[in-house]
Amino acid sequence: MILSNILLQIGQVLCVLLLAPLLQGFILKAEERVQRSRGPSILQPYRDLWKFFHKQSVVPESASWIYFIAPFVSFTAMLMVPLLIPVLTDRPLPLSNMGDLLGGGMVLTLGSFAIILAGLDTGNAYGGIGSSRTAMLAILAEPTLILVFVGISFLAKSMLPFVVNHLLLGSASAYWSPAHLFLILAFFALLLVETDRLPIHSSTHFEIYMIDEARILEYSGPLFALLKWASMMKQFILYTIFCNVFLLPWGMSQLGTPFGQLGSIASLLLKFLLIALTVVVVETVQSRLRFYRYQEPLAAAFLFAVLAIVSSQLL
Amino acid sequence: MSLTHLNSLQASIFSSLAIVSLLLTFVMLGSHWLRNYVYAFAVQSWLIAALSAAVGYFSGYPELYVIAALTALFRGLVLPYLLMRIVDRLHVKREIHAVLQPSSGLVVGAFLVMFAFVIANHMTRQTTSAAHVVVLALTIMLSMKFIGFLMLSVRDEAVSQILGLLVLENGIFLGSQILVPGMPLLIEIVILFDLLIVVACFGILVRYLVVHAGTTSSRQLNRLVG
Repeated sequence: MILSNILLQIGQVLCVLLLAPLLQGFILKAEERVQRSRGPSILQPYRDLWKFFHKQSVVPESASWIYFIAPFVSFTAMLMVPLLIPVLTDRPLPLSNMGDLLGGGMVLTLGSFAIILAGLDTGNAYGGIGSSRTAMLAILAEPTLILVFVGISFLAKSMLPFVVNHLLLGSASAYWSPAHLFLILAFFALLLVETDRLPIHSSTHFEIYMIDEARILEYSGPLFALLKWASMMKQFILYTIFCNVFLLPWGMSQLGTPFGQLGSIASLLLKFLLIALTVVVVETVQSRLRFYRYQEPLAAAFLFAVLAIVSSQLL
Repeated sequence: MSLTHLNSLQASIFSSLAIVSLLLTFVMLGSHWLRNYVYAFAVQSWLIAALSAAVGYFSGYPELYVIAALTALFRGLVLPYLLMRIVDRLHVKREIHAVLQPSSGLVVGAFLVMFAFVIANHMTRQTTSAAHVVVLALTIMLSMKFIGFLMLSVRDEAVSQILGLLVLENGIFLGSQILVPGMPLLIEIVILFDLLIVVACFGILVRYLVVHAGTTSSRQLNRLVG
């Protein structure tokens, strides 16, 4: 029996929606284990979300309508992106050519833009700091992101994630070409920046160097839960793009049978285990950079993207 | 020239060795610490030695084995040892007053690589698979030269200036190994001893600088005295 495309597309969204807190919980647990403490349970993010959804929401007096719609905009944006990328199956789904990688990137950035506005909206000093820091990081990360996409389109002659996945599955020489390896390095640096990890983001939130947390300091209750969930989903989506499009294009269901979908979920979890452990190693060995050295890892990522483009011209 | 009949395995071995050497140049460009520069230079020299040995093996030049051994010995061990001695005695651990911050250095370096690629692409007009290796070797040779010049011009510490010179020289050597593998053995040996003398002279000059100017940074020499 082969599931219909519409069911598969809904399944992709549900997979991202339901498994995103698990990934966050696993990373937090693994980091604590590396430091020889016990750490919270892997399921703790689910419990946190449950708790926040049952709390009362306290709204600042200075808040306008932007404050109320920002969580919904960012949450909806994260629900849209899984339609465009290969999460469970690498068969091109009907809605998947609605937008390419640039389109997906735009929707992701829209979510983060809404939160920046919300941070500025209430007039809280910390919200302003968080928004301006996030905007600066976005300015620094954007050129690299664009160059990575340009590199991909040189490699695969297309920006659709499904096409890139099929190219890498099909030819080992494309997979091992220097252009692709440089793209992986550049995207990994971007992944660390975009998912609130060291060396730029601090590992404990709620302190003076906070970046992303500062924007949502004014939120509480269900709205806060939506924002937290959206940021976990963003992390899950970026990991999915990194695994299924760049690093490990194997192990996805091709036909779309229910059994194949279960296999895809298992292989996705296995891939995320690898990436999450790498991220944990980076977080353990790195210390946080000073504010004025934020551009260094991003400059390195930019360099890798440029090298990828140069070497894609060579071969 | 031997490059006309390269198979894809040889081409990929040559290009990956050359690309990793280029990455090590960027390690030098993006780091503050003098010790890292010396380590990166040593590893780069070993890679170039491996490249000479590979070229010698695949295209049948037995004298390249001698050159590979000499490169590994002199560039990979003796020169880094001498440089490390200079760094240890000077008690200078890092570049302090960089004209170009490491991150801007990396971005400028990336543009230099693009520039080198454009030049290399204009110089070769063939489309065989060997031509790709030629373009790659030319690109990496030119970009290592440009980055060496960049390091010479933006770094102040005497040790980093020696390393800029050595990177420049490594670039030329890497390019010559791939492009003209049959260069006479005597010339290679002369170049190697030249380098040894350069580093020794620089060591003496740096000590002189410390004694008379009280600093190891060439920035201080710009000031007018007397």
